[in-house]
Amino acid sequence: MLEIRSITKRFGGLTALLDVAFTVGRGELVALVGPNGAGKSTLFNIIAGAFPPTRGQIVFNGRDVTGLSSHDLARLGVARTFQQTTLFGEQTALENVLHGLHRHVPARVVAGLLATPAYGKEQREVARRALGVLELLGIAAYRDTVAADLPLGIQKLLTVAVALATEPVLLLLDEPAAGLSRDEATRMMNLVASEIRQRCTVVLVEHNMRIVAGWCDRALVLHFGQKIYDGAPEGLARDQGVVDAYLGVAELA
Amino acid sequence: MKRGLLGLLIAALVLLPPLGKPYVLHVVIVILINVVYAQALYVIMRMGYLSFGHAGYIALGGYTSALLVTKLAITPWIGFLAGGVVAGIFAWALGAVTLKLRGIYFSLSVFAFAEVVNAAFRAFEVFGGPAGIAGVPRPALLGTRLNTHLQFYYVVLAVALVSLFFLYQLQWTRFGFTLLALRTRETERLAESLGINAARYKTLAFVVSCFFCGLMGAVHVHYLRFVSPFVFTFFLSNDLMIYVMVGGLGSYWGPMLGTVLLTGLGEQLFAAGYYKSLVYAVVLLVVILALPGGLISLPRILRRGGARERVLPVAADVTAARER
Repeated sequence: MLEIRSITKRFGGLTALLDVAFTVGRGELVALVGPNGAGKSTLFNIIAGAFPPTRGQIVFNGRDVTGLSSHDLARLGVARTFQQTTLFGEQTALENVLHGLHRHVPARVVAGLLATPAYGKEQREVARRALGVLELLGIAAYRDTVAADLPLGIQKLLTVAVALATEPVLLLLDEPAAGLSRDEATRMMNLVASEIRQRCTVVLVEHNMRIVAGWCDRALVLHFGQKIYDGAPEGLARDQGVVDAYLGVAELA
Repeated sequence: MKRGLLGLLIAALVLLPPLGKPYVLHVVIVILINVVYAQALYVIMRMGYLSFGHAGYIALGGYTSALLVTKLAITPWIGFLAGGVVAGIFAWALGAVTLKLRGIYFSLSVFAFAEVVNAAFRAFEVFGGPAGIAGVPRPALLGTRLNTHLQFYYVVLAVALVSLFFLYQLQWTRFGFTLLALRTRETERLAESLGINAARYKTLAFVVSCFFCGLMGAVHVHYLRFVSPFVFTFFLSNDLMIYVMVGGLGSYWGPMLGTVLLTGLGEQLFAAGYYKSLVYAVVLLVVILALPGGLISLPRILRRGGARERVLPVAADVTAARER
């Protein structure tokens, strides 16, 4: 479904990614692993259309999407979260999700300007749908809380809810469990591995081997911009290249 | 109750003016004009953009109508619309390029544009040069030229009410709601990732904002019967920003409150000349320091923190429905 064909990305003289290639099948839950600066976020940004690769091709659902803008990709069904837990901070959780529903809500400018009853009914329907997404992630109780005031664990869940509201085919999660307590991380990953992966294919960036081994089907390891491992998480600890790249070998076992 | 108050206010605006003194009528006309300017400016301030040059678009609208009516003898009614359209076209062209900029860079680009506009009007004889264009006629209705203050007051009132209704309703549409998602560079990136074409929304918002400035600018010029490069200057752009900020950005009613209070006050201080700016500056300082949310946030603060201004009626509806 997603096919990365030898992507290279250079920033000036720095090569962030070199000939990275892999495929992701429908319904998979894949982890992108690697030390800091390995190029994981760069790869994410390229897949999500934040910037184009220097060389290479991205094929999504049989279509070449290389160089498409972020909003075009979103319309094709690629959604993402950001590492920095980006939300519409001044707005409530429900309103955040409403922005996520943007592409599923007709504009209806004239009806909106005239505030016709049919328009109001449609809007209530949309809000109910947004509430449904919050319920799915178990955070409906926070619907009227301003996003910036929420605790980090809820904020992280909300970023996923907002991305999920776009009804993506492919969901890219940039460190969904970073900064969370062990319990919160478990809650997040349980949701990702059940409710969310039933709805879409998931690729996530993750440092934590407990999470990669515990919930993901497959691990891709990047090291200095190159792919050094592609396979089952269980094989990570036995792979010499991965062990060399990571000094914290003990953690893998 | 809010609806009732609003109806009462509109009824008063329609029925009471014939009883007032000409000077009072003048002040109300100026307030109505400024309210539309401020409310139009609020459209882009609501999405996190400050403009130090909206007077440039007001001038574009005013000159467009003045030129069409005096040189080509086109009816002022068409002139008004043309003023809005021309301002909107320039906004589209400039916005497509400059809305990528954030913060002071955008503000300065609009400021520079406004200066260029007035410089061009001053430099070229077709535009009347430094002397401007005099003898801009009032429009006629059913064969009567609307030459008295009172007659023209109703023109201003009609244009203002239609504009304000449009701008008010716009916030509750998907378009108006989406503008709130574009307040910072970070949220704009998030919005893009959700399938929102941020550049298109921002440009459209800027066009809407400048269209209404151009439209009211044209009406304004026909009220003054005169326009020159020294009418719609930086001082107007500056005053508009002060109106919006003193009133408060948190709600549609903030800019309106600020404009009504300060324009009213400004007209009282007219004889005092430059002291007007001094008074505005002091008011702005006091409000920014004591009430960062503007005067409109005062009731909410008094209600000890109170509820946040709603941005979407449906959200409240659903909440209420759930709690019932």
